[in-house]
Amino acid sequence: MAEFGIAAPSVKVAGGKPATATGKALSVVALRKTYGDVVAVDEASMEIAAGEFVTFLGASGSGKTTTLMMIAGFCEPDSGTITVGDRDVTRLAPQKRGLGFVFQQYLLFPHMTVSENVAFPLTLRGVGKDEIRRRVGETLEIAGLSGFGGRKPGELSGGQQQRVALCRALVYRPPVILMDEPLGALDKKLRDQLQVEIKSIQQELGLTVIYVTHDQEEALVMSDRIAVMRNGLIEQFDTPRELFERPKTPFVADFLGAANFLPGRIEQHDGEHTLVRLEASGGLLKARRHQLPSGAQVKLLSSQAGCGPAPPTTGSVPARWRPPRTWAPWSARGCGSMVVRRRCCVWRYRPAEAPWRASGSGSPSMRTTSTSSRPNRASEPWPPSPPPPPPVRASSWPPAKPGSGSCTRCQLWSICWCCSSTRSSPRCC
Amino acid sequence: MVYLLVLFVYPIFSTLLLSLKDADGSFTLHWYADALTGVNRSVLFTTLRISAETAALSLVFGFVLAQAISRLKPLWAGLAMLVVVVPHFVSALVRTYGWIIMLGDKGLVNETLAWAPGAPYQLLYNELGVVIGTTSMMLPYTVLLLYGVMRGVDRRLLAAASSMGAGKVTIFRRIYLPLVAPGLASAGLLSFILSLGYYITPALMGGPNQTMIATLINQQVTKENQWNGAAAQGVILLVLTLAGLLLVKAVTSLGASRKKRSAT
Repeated sequence: MAEFGIAAPSVKVAGGKPATATGKALSVVALRKTYGDVVAVDEASMEIAAGEFVTFLGASGSGKTTTLMMIAGFCEPDSGTITVGDRDVTRLAPQKRGLGFVFQQYLLFPHMTVSENVAFPLTLRGVGKDEIRRRVGETLEIAGLSGFGGRKPGELSGGQQQRVALCRALVYRPPVILMDEPLGALDKKLRDQLQVEIKSIQQELGLTVIYVTHDQEEALVMSDRIAVMRNGLIEQFDTPRELFERPKTPFVADFLGAANFLPGRIEQHDGEHTLVRLEASGGLLKARRHQLPSGAQVKLLSSQAGCGPAPPTTGSVPARWRPPRTWAPWSARGCGSMVVRRRCCVWRYRPAEAPWRASGSGSPSMRTTSTSSRPNRASEPWPPSPPPPPPVRASSWPPAKPGSGSCTRCQLWSICWCCSSTRSSPRCC
Repeated sequence: MVYLLVLFVYPIFSTLLLSLKDADGSFTLHWYADALTGVNRSVLFTTLRISAETAALSLVFGFVLAQAISRLKPLWAGLAMLVVVVPHFVSALVRTYGWIIMLGDKGLVNETLAWAPGAPYQLLYNELGVVIGTTSMMLPYTVLLLYGVMRGVDRRLLAAASSMGAGKVTIFRRIYLPLVAPGLASAGLLSFILSLGYYITPALMGGPNQTMIATLINQQVTKENQWNGAAAQGVILLVLTLAGLLLVKAVTSLGASRKKRSAT
């Protein structure tokens, strides 16, 4: 299985482009589409390199599908241009663009067999019979459907049908393949499996893929770059790592499930840092210098789930926050939030004999559940480990008797967010 | 059950018996021989030919009409279907006379085409007249049937085909037509069967050369008092109709099984 996910796309695109690469670059400039008063897509611009896997990620109504449809040619933009390779396709009919499209609903032709379905785009292009047979066989083999050529689509399962649809889009080597939530109709397990398959096929063949999904995990797993969309705007277009570590807006951080907002108030400015008094604990945090005046309400934002601040505490319990070794905070554009970030392992503390899950008050996070179902994740540094546990309430204090591994004074022990290792921490308070 | 026996089974059997009985009551096949030879045979062929023409024409017009309607928004489509179907509730006799008025030498059509060379055209009392009349009678059936089938076609399949580079003609020929083919077959056969036994329109709008089998049966009974011959022709008509119906059934079950396979 080819490595995927976070391999820096710039490196791959520049250097290791496969010899069989068929993908072409695609650029979108100031694309705009309105439906009546509603702006579906607002001045979307992006450059997609050849062989790149780009995902449009956003909730429904964010304009991601509309953008894709405009690229495919199924709906016409009000303004802006779309270029594939060096060809301006903005006003071309869909069939003249020569792009591949994989639909959520498969849309296989029910009156044709699997082979005929896959061969259909080739027959349109006047490819010879032997050549068609060879290429159809080849493509079906890539998708693991070798024995299914003679069947009708109705005789296949959903996952198989979507594979056939994928073959049908692959077989004529279109310069760009567009996928509109292709795995949306499948169950979780199949989705995970097909994600990996699609990604490896894409890398093997050097395809340029534009993928639309509302599933954050899917986007993070598959994409070289992700365009996070909201209300027709591209909030941020970056690599998954950048999105995670340096979200440009609180929305991006929140949407990717990495957000860990800590409400607080600016205490004072200290050289190149800003000190923020946390609302919950009264603890003092150092963040990068920010222009906001003292006393302003801010939200501290940990940009990487694994390395956020310590669990909040309330009431008389003091903030159990170990000052991190390095601070590399980042200020969001005028939105009154700051990002607290650090590279190293962060220890979270929990009562010795009270599992934090039981005493947590927050809602279980999406990423916690979704990553835990992915066994191969444990050893990977990426995507980052689950976000911090829900805050431990003061009411669940005090914990039971001192455990063997816990701090002798406060009866807490610590678990690393990144590597899940535990250690007793006699010096934690 | 008794009703069924009395109202359906008994009449059919008595017709069958009548067609097999000679004037003196003995068994004979000569009514059938009569019905299948000479003038009667040519009438039979005329019937088949006119029915086939009607089926083909109503299929073509029905296809175009249903296609146009299926592209409309639901509200407009409903109204359009109403317009297509409502005339069907008007008595066939009234509609036929309507056509006669329209198509006559001084009718609307010939008046409009008065400038054209060769006008007025002979549009009535020939095969053209009969086919125009029966086609208009069959149109509601074909439109209804085809509309149903066309509504069932997933338009996104066509979009999918166009995304792969298929032009309009190719999409129509390779995707759309195969998908509506079962509907076309059953609509064509239905209008064929229905026009086989059609009486009023051919009798009123056709000439002597367009005598169809229903007209012939009427003549035999009312003018020649020849019940046995009429019965034999009736049985032949029945057999033809049944054959057609079986064909329709075969075709639709084929379509249904295909649909079922694509659905699962």
